[in-house]
Amino acid sequence: MMTTKSHGKHGDFAIEAKGLVKRFKSGKAYVEVLKKVDFDARHGDLTMVMGPSGSGKSTLIAALSGLLRPEEGRVDTLDVDDLWKLSSGKIDKFRLDHCGFIFQGFNLFPALTALQQVETVLKFQGLTPAAAKKRATLALEEVGLKPRLHQRPSALSGGEKQRVAIARALAKDPQILFADEPTSALDGENGQIVIRLLRRAASEHGAAVICVTHDPRLEEWADRVIKIEDGIIIDDQRRTPNPNATLASHH
Amino acid sequence: MSLALSTLLYEWRRYMAAVMALALSGLLVLGMAGVFIGIGKGFTATIERSSADIIIMQPGAKSLIGGPAGVPRRFIPLAYNHPEVVEVQPLDGAGGSFQSVRNVDPTKSVAERARAGAPKQNFVQTSIIDTRPGSVTIPTDYSPELVEALRQPYTVAIDETAMRSLGVKLGDKALYNGQTVTVAAILRGYPNMMQQSIVMSRDTLRMVGQADTGPRVGPLMVKLSDPTRAEVVAEQLNQQGDGQWKAWTRQDLADANQSAMFEQGPLIIILGGVTVVGIIIGVAITWQTLRGAIMANIKEFASLRALGVGMASLRRIVVELSFWVGVVGVAAAIGLTWLVAVFAGTQGVLIALQPQALIAVGGGLISIAMISGLLSLGVLKNSQPADLLR
Ligand SMILES: Nc1ncnc2c1ncn2[C@@H]1O[C@H](COP(=O)(O)OP(=O)(O)O)[C@@H](O)[C@H]1O
Ligand SMILES: [Mg+2]
Repeated sequence: MMTTKSHGKHGDFAIEAKGLVKRFKSGKAYVEVLKKVDFDARHGDLTMVMGPSGSGKSTLIAALSGLLRPEEGRVDTLDVDDLWKLSSGKIDKFRLDHCGFIFQGFNLFPALTALQQVETVLKFQGLTPAAAKKRATLALEEVGLKPRLHQRPSALSGGEKQRVAIARALAKDPQILFADEPTSALDGENGQIVIRLLRRAASEHGAAVICVTHDPRLEEWADRVIKIEDGIIIDDQRRTPNPNATLASHH
Repeated sequence: MSLALSTLLYEWRRYMAAVMALALSGLLVLGMAGVFIGIGKGFTATIERSSADIIIMQPGAKSLIGGPAGVPRRFIPLAYNHPEVVEVQPLDGAGGSFQSVRNVDPTKSVAERARAGAPKQNFVQTSIIDTRPGSVTIPTDYSPELVEALRQPYTVAIDETAMRSLGVKLGDKALYNGQTVTVAAILRGYPNMMQQSIVMSRDTLRMVGQADTGPRVGPLMVKLSDPTRAEVVAEQLNQQGDGQWKAWTRQDLADANQSAMFEQGPLIIILGGVTVVGIIIGVAITWQTLRGAIMANIKEFASLRALGVGMASLRRIVVELSFWVGVVGVAAAIGLTWLVAVFAGTQGVLIALQPQALIAVGGGLISIAMISGLLSLGVLKNSQPADLLR
């Protein structure tokens, strides 16, 4: 059923970051949120970044994805040496070509139907309207929204909205997929649908999926679990995922 | 359908303030210009519907009535010198007091008589026709019956919009400069907001003692054997006149008459002031509305940025959005002005909506919307995808 090719070779590095330092100004003092973090992620892996609130998880993926410039360190990704040396236009283009994003909020345009949400991004990628429509339809079918193609966000449940957001990210066929707390706003059942979709993006599309969460139950699906506390990686373990794990609907 | 257009249609309530501001700015300018043009049309109607192919006036004059336009009487035979001229008649006119007459019923009480209202007195402008059928001084839209009615001595015709202010209706008697005249016909399409006017025959004008008898006459109305040659003949008459007169084709004179009105200082100042106010209101409200609307969708824009859509593309979305707001604003402005014009029409006020004015104001409103769009581009910098990562 897969409509897209897989990227790289499973196991190849998709991102390698070295010595990332990010500080925020707080009053007169600087707070170091990332303290010389080394990080890597591979194609085909669902890499889970876990840690308590405020530990720097979101800041880390912002630095990895070219959204927030770190004070120190470098990010090598795909065929780009040192992402942060590129102009901001080139960084945008890199993300447009290669990255998908999923946020805790769904950030869908109220005026657009599910299909249009996905098409819009594809058109910015340069697809013809016809090609964009075809790809968007497939992506939405893949996340199980075939019957909801023409609904606007106001007519969709939270879980469905997040699936539209996932389809919007996956339709681009990204080599790297960033997800920041993608299940936090969802109940157990919908959370499970979402984490399974991320799992599949890694296994079947060969994307490097980097998923930030503070929910330990999501570990079940991960190939690798990285723990971060106070801007320092304190643990990094490979594990064997269980794609059939279940999330209790009450937590 | 584009993202911008979908958003405008789906969230139209959000954009109502901007659309209404544009519509009101448009109404202000269109309405003002329409009233002025309407006033002008009242004056030019006589020219545009005249049967004259060419009008000969004193050099420098641009209007048939008001202002010195007449020429020496000896120009009449001079104009006949041109072989294609078949009829030359001087326009004549005067002014006078016009007083409605009440038939007082002596059996009624004083109170009842008072309720019927006092007679009205107005100063009116008088213009004439020659009642010989086919005469060059008869406007093209006068019916033979109307001409026939005016052929009777001491009869006048008035426009339907003047009936109320003059206080007369068809068949009523009135005093014109103290002499009794009868309202024998009602005209349509000759409203004049600035000054009421009446029409009578040249013979009646003579009988009330106001006809030109001296060496000077009014503008010369000239009929040609071939009306399509008006431009050429006007040119030849001007050469023949050698600067003593100016021969206009009917259309040229109507155009000159109307633009002459807009050369008057106060009109330009009023219209300019209204335009400036309209622009300020339009830009201020549209700008703030667009800012608010963009801020309401800022997270969605930020998520597009995260997916790699560049700032330039987002700017284009905003500019397109403001363009569509402008288009809707133009439609609303035209609709609103049309409604006001229809209402004004029922009140006897002519608001003329000319295509040129609509195009100019429409273009102006779209520019206002797009300037507002450009001004509100600044808020896009709040679309920081990093803010979505928390
Ligand atoms: N733009 C910012 N300005 C100042 N401090 C920030 C900013 N963004 C994040 N922080 C701080 O950095 C720390 C790490 O934030 P974040 O990476 O969002 O943590 P997590 O995603 O692990 O909850 C927090 O203490 C947060 O308050
Ligand atoms: Mg976070």
